[in-house]
Amino acid sequence: MSKIDSLGTVITTDVLVLGAGGAGMCAALKAKESNVDVLMIDKMGIGWSGQVPIGGGILAYVYPDYVEKWAENVTRQSFFFNNQDWTYQLGNYMHKSTMDLANMGLTFHRDKGEINILDWGPHIHVTLFDAAKSLVALKKTANNRRIKMMDKIYAIDLLKNGDKVVGAIGLGLTDGKTYLFNAKTVIIATGNCGYMHEKTYSSVLGEGAAMGYRAGAQLVNAEFSSSYVWGIKDLGKELMGIYFYQYLENAKGEKIMFKHFPYLKENKQPVYTFDPRVIEAMQKEVQAGLGPIYINLQGLNAKEIAGLAEDQVEGLTLLKGNDTMRLLREKMGIDPSKEKMEMWPRYLYSGGGLRIDVNGKTTLDGLYAAGGASSSSWSGGGGGQAGLGVQSAAVTGFVAGENAAKDAKKTKQLDIDYNQAKSAVERIMAPTQRAGNTDAYDVVYRVHEAVVPMKYNRQREAGRMREALGIVEDARKKLGGVGAKDFHDLARYHSAESMAMAAEFTYKAALMREESRAGHNRVDFPQRDDKNWFKWITIEQKNGAPHLTTLPVPVEKYRLQP
Amino acid sequence: MAIRNFYAEKCNGCGICVACCPMDVLRLDEKAKKVVIKYPKDCIACWGCESFCPRGCFDVTPERGRGELVSPY
Repeated sequence: MSKIDSLGTVITTDVLVLGAGGAGMCAALKAKESNVDVLMIDKMGIGWSGQVPIGGGILAYVYPDYVEKWAENVTRQSFFFNNQDWTYQLGNYMHKSTMDLANMGLTFHRDKGEINILDWGPHIHVTLFDAAKSLVALKKTANNRRIKMMDKIYAIDLLKNGDKVVGAIGLGLTDGKTYLFNAKTVIIATGNCGYMHEKTYSSVLGEGAAMGYRAGAQLVNAEFSSSYVWGIKDLGKELMGIYFYQYLENAKGEKIMFKHFPYLKENKQPVYTFDPRVIEAMQKEVQAGLGPIYINLQGLNAKEIAGLAEDQVEGLTLLKGNDTMRLLREKMGIDPSKEKMEMWPRYLYSGGGLRIDVNGKTTLDGLYAAGGASSSSWSGGGGGQAGLGVQSAAVTGFVAGENAAKDAKKTKQLDIDYNQAKSAVERIMAPTQRAGNTDAYDVVYRVHEAVVPMKYNRQREAGRMREALGIVEDARKKLGGVGAKDFHDLARYHSAESMAMAAEFTYKAALMREESRAGHNRVDFPQRDDKNWFKWITIEQKNGAPHLTTLPVPVEKYRLQP
Repeated sequence: MAIRNFYAEKCNGCGICVACCPMDVLRLDEKAKKVVIKYPKDCIACWGCESFCPRGCFDVTPERGRGELVSPY
């Protein structure tokens, strides 16, 4: 047995893909087209991973002729703060990405054999696909193309040889084995951080950004994209549909949206599920002592309730709305036409991710990133645009896959550095060496106290954010008291650690940015400040601590100028 | 626990929930052809089992045994 084998089971491949959700699956399929050896691992069972299968099955689409106008619209809406290289990359790739996905087996809704492309907004369309079975279908193609796959592996840290990333370390959750994956290039596609606070989208726990950071990669935009979406408190689910807002009321029975936004009464205006105005109204009412907030559909019949779910895309959210009503009846025993339901702002995500260039490469040699784990959001155009998250996952996945494979083809396999691997394995296993008096999820619940309250994360202010950082610091101290009896405990420990890191980075970057912009609202700096803050904030590990620095938006090099 | 209800009588042991669970909470009892909740406290309420179970065997709650979630207000 070699020295390396004493650390764990060594598996060698050309391209290693961490995470088999939408982005990872696309990355693996595209990488394989270059005829390299591809191995994809995931903590879930591949085919069901990530957020795409539990999402709405909407894929944003921009016609090739509209890319220029769409990109211009996105850029103007984000006040030129977007990474235009990525905005154009995304726009230009969307048609090919959609066709590739169809060829790879994704089931689209079709009309007379053609993919149904539906009008959505300015210069943007959407297509609809079978979300639940989407990755099962792509997995079948991955199998046919001889992509290797391993389920139930919890990837925690990267392997390095000198400055280059040469693989990753994973824990086999069911077999109890430590795996050392040796690869020419690695793609992180493990999603962003959902903090496991609410139901849905909580399988992503920030592991990718955390492992990239520890290996020396740069993160960017951590202060953006934290999001609140209104939903049914007891069901832990949002209510899809654009007219439900009319029935939101306070404890006194006043309709809160018409109270705060009287103009909504005119012309039956739609308000989408992700619209921040709803959160604003809810918060104002509760602060005024008029909470809790309910949705009151009493007296409406099933058909009328279904009608409220009507959307720009006919039939789409109607289906989703009905689905929610069915869940309410079956799971909660609630008949929405007979009783009120409490609604509240659901905190869903942290922002930012690994900084990638237009080829999907991070700032580290041998390391690529895609989807929520990457800074794909800096292409702009988010803001609740349906299906853009999925399309962005697909495009960043395809781009990272293609380039990681090309890179692997011209790269000689570097061995695992025994000393680096040994110290990484020791760090990962450290909790098994202590008894521990704290449960890892108690650490996570402490992190929730810092990230969930809107006083910290929606109305950001220096003093309050320092208070939130104090809570995160306390959570990290608690981590030191968490022990691990087995790999399950270890996975829980490391997921708690990555969530604490995500929270720390969000608040450190948010404290640094002394202005308000996009979803980052500072009550102590309420204006956008292009003079001082037309720059991105990056985070990198230096001397064992996060080092924040700024990167001016290189708008002079971009196609569109302010 | 995050899996509030598991309706074992509906389960036919198809194994989809076992496959999709990211924390290896669920295992298949091959003999009984039923799923068992082996590591209940590890559940992260990702909603996979509830979403994908073809027989509606699962009811997952986000409060994960704490009683109340941290309030956003």
